[in-house]
Amino acid sequence: MSLTLTIPRLETDRLILRGPEARDFDPIAEFYADERRSWGFGGPMNRADAWRWLATSVGHWALHGYGFFTMELKETGTACGLTGLWNPEGWPEPELGWILFQGFEGKGLAREGAERAREWAYLDLGMTTLTSNIKPGNDRSVALAERMGAWYERTYHNVHLGEDLLYRHPAPAALGMTGGTTSRPEATA
Amino acid sequence: MTTACQVPTINTDDLILREYRETDFEAFAAFGASERARFVGGPQDRWSSWRSFMAGIGHWTLRGYGMWMVEHRQTGRVAGRVGMIFNDSWDEPELGWHIYDGFEGKGYAFQATHAARAYSAEHFGLDAVISYIDPENTRSVALARRLGAQFEREGRLLGTPCHIYRHPREVRR
Repeated sequence: MSLTLTIPRLETDRLILRGPEARDFDPIAEFYADERRSWGFGGPMNRADAWRWLATSVGHWALHGYGFFTMELKETGTACGLTGLWNPEGWPEPELGWILFQGFEGKGLAREGAERAREWAYLDLGMTTLTSNIKPGNDRSVALAERMGAWYERTYHNVHLGEDLLYRHPAPAALGMTGGTTSRPEATA
Repeated sequence: MTTACQVPTINTDDLILREYRETDFEAFAAFGASERARFVGGPQDRWSSWRSFMAGIGHWTLRGYGMWMVEHRQTGRVAGRVGMIFNDSWDEPELGWHIYDGFEGKGYAFQATHAARAYSAEHFGLDAVISYIDPENTRSVALARRLGAQFEREGRLLGTPCHIYRHPREVRR
């Protein structure tokens, strides 16, 4: 008997979004070791906890059918961050999240990856709404959520992170994505 | 892309060692919340148990081996979890066992760990493995000895002092 994880491989102009692998551990551990970068994403964490986070993120795919993709630069194959959908026990509803590893900020990569993941959630998974949960004070993430059209909806208590801001993304129709499609619009045009 | 997460099934007289199922989670969380979990990093809340449950699945994909869920064949109930653990910061892969409430004292733990150890030696190349045991966990120490493991040294796991037992070799070199 086996448990099969089906993790798609998505593309954007500059990125490949793929399933998490053991080789992603070092950049993830470095990210979590850096409090300034990881405080809004459950960090900081030591290597042992970062390893468990990576294993958890793989298991999340198996149980939910979605999870965090590793974002890889097409040109070099370098892992530059994570984006995807997260909804563990205790979360209010599925959220779209993103982080960039050191040296990859300021290039629009988070938005490029997160918009592709959002499109996948709407068109391929058939989700009808999405949130992004952002720690108060994480202004860069708030700015990106707003650039993606999301708006502040409410503050709630996150089971793990404490006080947390819930941003609501536009529904599929508002983004010109009609429901029931199983692939990207340009592929069916 | 499809990532395979192969969890082989092992049958013993009374037990089935198998993959994780979402329906196992209630038993998993009940163990995690109980005093029984105090020697394995617990007790922990439901949210933390959910993370541990997902991490248990992810371990198989990242390492190619992991811990099995143990099902009691006669009742279909989950009796515990046994198998190989090799998280970052572990010295080497470890044979671990968690026995759930109501399944102790029946020889199930021995049956499950013995089967998991033999399978891991033969199929994963993990032989003469260790077990990290809190010396106050006398039932685990007794099981380790019954499995033929011997105290090797004192060590630490995630900052907690513990004893390292070494299991006998299963596969002849």
